[in-house]
Amino acid sequence: MLQQVLALIVIIFFLLRLLKQKNHKQINGSEFSLWLIFWLLALGAIIFIKQIDTLVAWLGFSGTAINILVYLTMLALIYQVFSMRLTIAKINKNISELNQALTLKK
Amino acid sequence: MKIVCVIPAYNEAQNIRLVISKVKSFVDEIIIVDDASSDDTFKLANLDNVTAVRHIINRGQGAALRTGTELALERGADIIIHFDADDQFQAEDIPEMLEPLINGKADAVLGSRFLSKKSNLPKIKRNLIMPLARLSNLLLFNIRLSDPQSGFRALSRSSASKLKIENDGMAHCSEIIYQLFKNKERVVEVPIKVIYHEYGQKLSGGFKIIKDLLIQKLIN
Repeated sequence: MLQQVLALIVIIFFLLRLLKQKNHKQINGSEFSLWLIFWLLALGAIIFIKQIDTLVAWLGFSGTAINILVYLTMLALIYQVFSMRLTIAKINKNISELNQALTLKK
Repeated sequence: MKIVCVIPAYNEAQNIRLVISKVKSFVDEIIIVDDASSDDTFKLANLDNVTAVRHIINRGQGAALRTGTELALERGADIIIHFDADDQFQAEDIPEMLEPLINGKADAVLGSRFLSKKSNLPKIKRNLIMPLARLSNLLLFNIRLSDPQSGFRALSRSSASKLKIENDGMAHCSEIIYQLFKNKERVVEVPIKVIYHEYGQKLSGGFKIIKDLLIQKLIN
C-alpha cells in the first residue's frame, strides 16, 4: 500500500510538471499528449494493480503485475531509443543537404 | 574529355599542396572540398590553381564527396575521380584508372589494394578488417570485390550522375559500390598502390560502417 502511495505521488508530481511545461509552452501539443497518455496509463496501472495481477495470472504469466509492467516499460523505452535514433539520422541527413546547398551556393 | 579529380579534405594542411601538385598533371581540374577543417587546409588549397569549396560544418568524407561530385558534374566533368587528401594514394595510378573509362570498357573503375601491386597495408587490416568488410559487402549487398573499401575510384559522367551518396561518414565506400552494382554499371577493378603513413580506419570504424549502412536502410 505504501509503495502504491509513493508511486502515485511520483506520478502526480510528473503530471503536474507536464502541465506546467504545457502552460509555459515548453512542449508542443503532440509531445504533451504522448506524455499525458504515458503518465495516465502509469497512474491507472498503479491504482488497478490488483486487477492487473489477476489479469496477468489469468493470461498465464508466472510473474506479478509489477514484473509485467517493468518489462513493458523496458520495451517502450527501447522502442523510444530506436525511434529517436532514426529521427536523429533523418535530421543529420537534412543538415548535410543544407550544408551542401550552402557550400555550392557560395 | 574533361577529367575532374574530387579531393575531400579534412585537416590536411600538411599534405594538401603536395597532393595537388602530384595530381594536377593527370587531370584537367581539381576540386578540393574542405570539410570544415580547423587548420589551414582551405587557405593552402586556394594558393594553387584549383577549385576549392568549404563546408560550413564538418559532415564527413561521404558528404564532402557528394558536394565535390555534384560540383564536378555542374562543371561539365566527363570523368570524375575520387582521391584522398592524405597522400596515401599514388597519382601515377590515375592513367591506369582512367583507361577502361576512356576505352569505353567500363562505367566505373575501382582501385584495388589487393591485386598485383603491393600496398603496405597493416597486418590487422589485411587479415581481419578487410575480410570482414568483404563479408559484410557479400552479406548485405551480395557483391564480391577484391577491395571492399577503396576510396580511389573513377566514374563516368553517367554513372556519377546516378549516384546518390547518402552516407556522410566512411560507409559511403560500400554505399557507392552497392549503387554501382544496383545501377548495373560495368565495374572494373584496377590494381593500385597505397602507401600508409598512418593506420587509418580501425576495427571499431568497420562496425560503425555496418551500423551506418543498417540505419540508412531503415530511414530510406
